[in-house]
Amino acid sequence: MRHTETDLRRLLTDQAHRQGGGEPSVRLDAIVRRGRRLRRTRRALTAGTAVVLAVTAVGLVNGLLPRSPRANVATAAQPPVNSAQIEPGPKLPDMFNVRLGAVEFDLPLIHSQRFETMGVARTVTFSPSSFSTGYKVVCDDPRAWVVTAGKLKGGERGGGVGRCGDSAGGHHDERSAPSDWLKRPQSMQVWVFPADAPVKKVAKAVTGCPSAIKSRGCDEAAQSRALFDPEVLERLSAEVGERPGRWAVGIYDRPAGTDSVPNGEPTAVVEHPTDSASAPTR
Amino acid sequence: MDDGFAEYVAHRHLRLCRMAYLLARDWGTAEDLVQTALAKAWLAWRRIEGNPDPYVYRIIVNTHTSWWRRRWRGEVPAETLPETPDPRDAASEIDDQAALWNAIGTLSPRQRAVIVLHYFEERTLSQVADIVGCSLGTVKTQLSRALSRLRVDPDIRTMSLEEVQR
Repeated sequence: MRHTETDLRRLLTDQAHRQGGGEPSVRLDAIVRRGRRLRRTRRALTAGTAVVLAVTAVGLVNGLLPRSPRANVATAAQPPVNSAQIEPGPKLPDMFNVRLGAVEFDLPLIHSQRFETMGVARTVTFSPSSFSTGYKVVCDDPRAWVVTAGKLKGGERGGGVGRCGDSAGGHHDERSAPSDWLKRPQSMQVWVFPADAPVKKVAKAVTGCPSAIKSRGCDEAAQSRALFDPEVLERLSAEVGERPGRWAVGIYDRPAGTDSVPNGEPTAVVEHPTDSASAPTR
Repeated sequence: MDDGFAEYVAHRHLRLCRMAYLLARDWGTAEDLVQTALAKAWLAWRRIEGNPDPYVYRIIVNTHTSWWRRRWRGEVPAETLPETPDPRDAASEIDDQAALWNAIGTLSPRQRAVIVLHYFEERTLSQVADIVGCSLGTVKTQLSRALSRLRVDPDIRTMSLEEVQR
């Protein structure tokens, strides 16, 4: 059976007018909201985001570091004594524990910001006082997804993805921090999504959510990797929308004038979120 | 608001959704496509000169192609269309329509875009080339291949009443 161009035109017209569920609703506010999110995402994530290598390398290094029993006890039994926060909501630890090989030290909280909603990008600006600067995100729901993006040594973007309870990172070496680290205020972007956000669905739709180990399918690690994709972030943000959910981000640093940390690896500490066993924070 | 953006959306939204549906073949995806395209157009609205349609169409086509590439998993296009026993039978006419619609679904996103823009949106092939972002020659090639796959013969003309009366 052969068709004519008229058949084709008629078919296309018929099909186009045969929509299910009535006419699609025009939601100008939703379009503009999505446009604003797009703009924020584009600003936050410049082209050529190079984060996976840094995350993987540092995650590996951290995974190899032995964890001292003391640190585990502190995590389990010693809730942070928090004097810096007086608002309700998730509490930030007052110290950030850093372990670089045999060297271990604590960084005090120098800056914090609290947010009442999640689902959209937030920018946190702070002034580092040394080349050893850490950050930690805490949420009412420790299973909430957290994505962070900041500047790496060469100016490229780096960051981390994972569940809120494990979300921490930073620079702990002069060689890892951008050259202007101490010269001007620095900023990082943070996205927090609900624990039940459709990460898997969006990841599968956008990237296919490939797993490093095929048999595991679109598991948590694959979903985390997918969240590095700006389009996944953008569409997830559009799908979730801004919704209530309290969280806070704390910046930790050495007091000004303190000697820098001894040389050592990792050069950039950005933990892989799914690798909770290697989290060196409280 | 925004120099006629709201008016454009109100005026063109349904038509854009219909066009997007012919590309995506799913109303939910079509609405998502259009919303994404309009959000991107909103960002560039002040820089768009003249009729925004080609710009918005281009975003829809490119976004659909990119989504399709990422979503495509295991859909196997048919090599041939099923033959029907009697082309004049009413039931077989419906089958023909279904077969043609299914065949459109087997086209590549670029070929489908060319078909939809040319036969549904009534764009000239030059305009299609501009929207799809390729040369006129490429559009002609894509169109020819698509029509061949759909078994649409441009040389067969449906005889209209006017033609009969002449």
